[in-house]
Amino acid sequence: MTDQKHSKTMQRRDFIQTGMRLTLALSLGGIGTMAALKTAKGDTVWQIDPFKCVQCGRCADYCVKTPSAVKCVHAYDLCGYCDLCGGYLKPDAIAQATGAENQLCPTAAIKRKFIEEPYFEYEIVEDLCIGCAKCVAGCTSFGNGSLHLQIRHDLCDNCNECAIARVCPADAISRVPASEPYKIKGDFTANNKDQTQSREE
Amino acid sequence: MKQVSKYIFSLIGFVTVSLPVWAQQQRFPKPEFETGYQQPQPTVPDPRMLLMEYVDVFVLLVVLLLISWFALKKRSRSGIFWTSVFSLLYFGFYREGCICSVGSIQNVALAIFDPTYTIPLTALLFFLIPLVFALFTGRTFCAGACPLGAIQDIVILKPMELPKWLQKVLGFIPYLYLGLAVLYAATKSEFIICRYDPFVGIFRFDAEFQMFVLGGLFLLIGIFVARPYCRFFCPYGVLLGWMSKFSSKHLTITPAECIQCKLCVPSCPFGAIDEPIVEQGNRRKNVNRLITYVMLLPVWALIGGFAGSLVHVPLSKFNSNVYLAEQIIEHPELKNDPDNIDVRTFMTSGKTVDQLVEEAQQIRSQFYVGSWILGAFLGLVIGFSLIKLSTFRKRNDYVPDKVNCLSCGRCMDYCPVKKENSGFNPEVSGQNPN
Amino acid sequence: MNLQPNDKINIARKIAWLAAGFSVIICVLLIVNFIQSKSVNPIESETLKALVERLKSDPQNEALINEIRAFDLLARKAYFTSQWQLRTGGYLLLLGIIVTILSVRYVLSNKPKFGELEEIEKEPYLDSVLARKWIIYVGGSLFVLASVSGILSYNSLNAYQFSKSEVKTDEVVVETAQTSEEKIVEETTAAATQENIVPEEIMKAEPKTVAEEVKTETAAKTESSVFVASQKDLRANYPFFRGAEGNGIAWQTNVPTQWDGAAGTNILWKAKFPKRGFSSPIVWKNKVFITGADNAGREVYCYDLNSGKLLWTALADNIPGSPSKMPSVTADTGFAASTMATNGNSVFAIFATGDLLALDMDGKRLWAKNLGVPDNHYGHSSSLIIYKDKLLIQYDTNKGGKLIALSTASGAEMWTTVRKSKISWSSPVLVNTGNRMELILTTDPNVDSYDPETGKELWSVKCLMGEVGPSAAYSDGLVFAANEYATFAAIKPGSTPEIVWQTDEFLPEVASPLAVNGVVIIATSYGTVAAFDTADGTLLWEQEHSDGFYASPVYAAGNVYLIDMAGVCHIFKAGREFQLVAEPALGEKTVCAPVFADGKILIRGFDNLYCIGK
Repeated sequence: MTDQKHSKTMQRRDFIQTGMRLTLALSLGGIGTMAALKTAKGDTVWQIDPFKCVQCGRCADYCVKTPSAVKCVHAYDLCGYCDLCGGYLKPDAIAQATGAENQLCPTAAIKRKFIEEPYFEYEIVEDLCIGCAKCVAGCTSFGNGSLHLQIRHDLCDNCNECAIARVCPADAISRVPASEPYKIKGDFTANNKDQTQSREE
Repeated sequence: MKQVSKYIFSLIGFVTVSLPVWAQQQRFPKPEFETGYQQPQPTVPDPRMLLMEYVDVFVLLVVLLLISWFALKKRSRSGIFWTSVFSLLYFGFYREGCICSVGSIQNVALAIFDPTYTIPLTALLFFLIPLVFALFTGRTFCAGACPLGAIQDIVILKPMELPKWLQKVLGFIPYLYLGLAVLYAATKSEFIICRYDPFVGIFRFDAEFQMFVLGGLFLLIGIFVARPYCRFFCPYGVLLGWMSKFSSKHLTITPAECIQCKLCVPSCPFGAIDEPIVEQGNRRKNVNRLITYVMLLPVWALIGGFAGSLVHVPLSKFNSNVYLAEQIIEHPELKNDPDNIDVRTFMTSGKTVDQLVEEAQQIRSQFYVGSWILGAFLGLVIGFSLIKLSTFRKRNDYVPDKVNCLSCGRCMDYCPVKKENSGFNPEVSGQNPN
Repeated sequence: MNLQPNDKINIARKIAWLAAGFSVIICVLLIVNFIQSKSVNPIESETLKALVERLKSDPQNEALINEIRAFDLLARKAYFTSQWQLRTGGYLLLLGIIVTILSVRYVLSNKPKFGELEEIEKEPYLDSVLARKWIIYVGGSLFVLASVSGILSYNSLNAYQFSKSEVKTDEVVVETAQTSEEKIVEETTAAATQENIVPEEIMKAEPKTVAEEVKTETAAKTESSVFVASQKDLRANYPFFRGAEGNGIAWQTNVPTQWDGAAGTNILWKAKFPKRGFSSPIVWKNKVFITGADNAGREVYCYDLNSGKLLWTALADNIPGSPSKMPSVTADTGFAASTMATNGNSVFAIFATGDLLALDMDGKRLWAKNLGVPDNHYGHSSSLIIYKDKLLIQYDTNKGGKLIALSTASGAEMWTTVRKSKISWSSPVLVNTGNRMELILTTDPNVDSYDPETGKELWSVKCLMGEVGPSAAYSDGLVFAANEYATFAAIKPGSTPEIVWQTDEFLPEVASPLAVNGVVIIATSYGTVAAFDTADGTLLWEQEHSDGFYASPVYAAGNVYLIDMAGVCHIFKAGREFQLVAEPALGEKTVCAPVFADGKILIRGFDNLYCIGK
């Protein structure tokens, strides 16, 4: 009798176990499918929309990498090659020269090279750049805005939640398809900017 | 009123010819170079290859298979240990702690609640695969695939047992953490699990100071209280525990039949071995208590839900939109504060305060529903753990507690019964130290 | 070398201690380095800033320049070295900890032991009781805590009042009865005809225009609800910069000629505005509108004409596209240099940020937009004018000029004409050249005329240069335009415009010319007033004053009112001979021309708005 009772209890337990296991498997499958309906085959990476960026300087401080994986990028296509460069020189610089007293960049990460009268090329030395956006603000206010910030994917960890995206006041950082990982001005301007505008409308 | 200074300003350099679209961006036209200067192009280093992301999934699968094999078939603690060291090196130090199953909970929650979010397939696989494994083999993920677990496992040097009530109370935190993580992810607020991951800074050699301190503290405590994050914080552990409880197979302490030698009991630093038990106290009283607690279950859920609905206001303050809206309403003078970056950026974004407040109210109402559910969920958790503590199931042998067992395999080493197929060996039982 | 197990354990123990000590030292060093790099951020060095500041006052100081360069190099080196130190320290610490753990594990693994866990006493039944108790305590108190914090926290989102917060209405103004207002207008026109002092050609043009206006008005009323003010209403009030046509002719007849600002004689009221500006007031019925702005904000004020009470203030904030960083403007232009415009139904204001604001007469925002920050090195200062249902905006910037027409009702763009012009600071003038309405704009290098209905260019004459501030004047079929260092020209408009005469004897810098009764009057910034014959440019008379003129001359009730920068108003007969009527003083500096209402004159000083009357 007791054996029978015991085996019955065991059977019942087994039944419950299997039932629960099935339920869990089903709910897991359910959640899986719900999420799977919205999967992207390709991966996504974080990137800054230079047209939304307000040059607040948080990219330098909040990135999980030190120095930040955000660097200034120079879209040469848009550059005016100005002698009086708002991104290179302090706004009230005494001379238009390369001396430290005139340079805006705190780490001297912009190289100024004479091309021909009166044009100069500006190149970013990425090892020195800390992504503080000082030059970006200068170039955007006084120049063509050819200097702008981008997340460099050879440095970026591609965190699950980007620490600078979280603190970006302009919501300029979002996930983009890994197949088009950059929003470099010039290429990015023509279509995408218009698209964003029409969406807003 | 027109007001002009006395000097004629030289307009050279300010003349732009073409006006429409281009003029707004290009103040200074690109020069035409005479010296044949070649314009360089900005470099665009590629992100990590997609293939490599799938390699991560593959590595996870292999690691989980290995551990399952070590835990269930080979019964090798050292095998599990070295696999976990590998996981620590690969998922921890090499992959810098990011892609991780624990954090993927939030991606899945966001994918379900945010129609615009597309979840990367790899993230979904990282969420599902360990859970599926747990359903069949127990928490093998915790044993050796999780870098957070592995780093804590290594520093268990002098573990102490915690009183049962404390374990139960602390074990409540993961549910709270899980609920909050899902709530904040679903409302698109933030990923708190990732943000407060104590070990990711150690994997990266780079984090905020306070996160290093937190990680260091967890490891220090981890010397004495085994794997504190896993047992008392990890939200993914909750899900794994549910799966593991009903898993079809699970690590066993003994390969054959238990000989009641008790050797295994002190081997488990996590207190996850259930000892033989007989019913104590008055049977009738016990049954009555159980019935009372079962009846109280909906009451707990209601109380929790009510408390949750009340707490939605402070909880939603952590959402950046709600915070900004409240800041602007409570301190209207901030609108003109040039030093407040967030307010300044908002003021120039083109959105009106009305729109912002409307958005914030919407988010807050989402939080209302969310925290109601969160509170009810926590109420149910409390109710169920009370029921669990009131039930009694007779047990004759030493068996792993399937919910809390991390499948680390320490107990297997301590079990004197060695060969699975050799059957019961009476001589071994004679070695019982007691 | 054979080591005994015991020796091995001893060595391992020593290694463990050593490695632990090493780790602790590295850890302390790292923390010190970390705190140092946080507290003294060499990249944001205050010292460097101070040095550069010093260099500005002494730009030739080579020693200082060298010091700056050396310091900068040092600071950058320190920054990158500390980064390197932190990273290397991290690796060393990890190494130390690994060695410690390995050796401790080795030591432990060789110790005889029964288990890993330090056990405590257990009693399953009592444990369960205790656990239940604690779960109820902790769970309960968690919920209580949550409820309390929920109750205590304040949901300020619910306290927010939508869009009402934009306008601070101090008092709801009761509109004066429509009938009495109409009466005043009738009286004014009657008086005008009686005294016959209104320039002839305008009188001639009037009936036709009025008829047209009435037609359009009725048409507009039946077709849509777009509000169009009648010319009668416009002339009864003072809706734009320099009057109902923007040409400096006021149609008010009953206006004072005597006052004393310092003594308070004939000063009905005086109001100090919260924010400065150089825009002139505009008047509609018994409301006076004026703008003020500074770096912190841009505001529109509405005063009661009779009492001088500030009725409401409207803020130009939260405008899409408004810049985060204020454009740089000079102190003598400011952010609020453009005068507002009204059609009696709504008021419009524009600021140097490009922010355009439309409000109803009670200060409630109708619409607002940003036209794009004008690239203007002094600050945008062209005033607004309204033609029928269109708000016309002269938008000449360093990036080129535009003439924009927006719907007064919705702010929607009706047309935009790209102008072949450089930057200017002048304002548009509406004139009736006999058979059509024209909008005349002055700029470098043109005087241009546009059809105010379609924005089509009617004609263009190249005769100006430099930084054009003065707007145009019109009389007897001639358009007058002038600018300092350029010329003063009389242009015969038409499809083939021609310059009838020009002179460069006296040229205005800011003040616009005024043409009335066959005389055109010029006021220069160095204090000379000169009158020319409109027909041939003969100099009729000239007057020298010690203070210069920025405010333009305005005609009202047979007299010309011309206020100098010291605030003294020179009132003289609008005639071929100079005949002084009065020279009342405001007692405050001003650059704004007087503004007329029935029986009253409004003048904006630097800080106060004066209402003059009996």
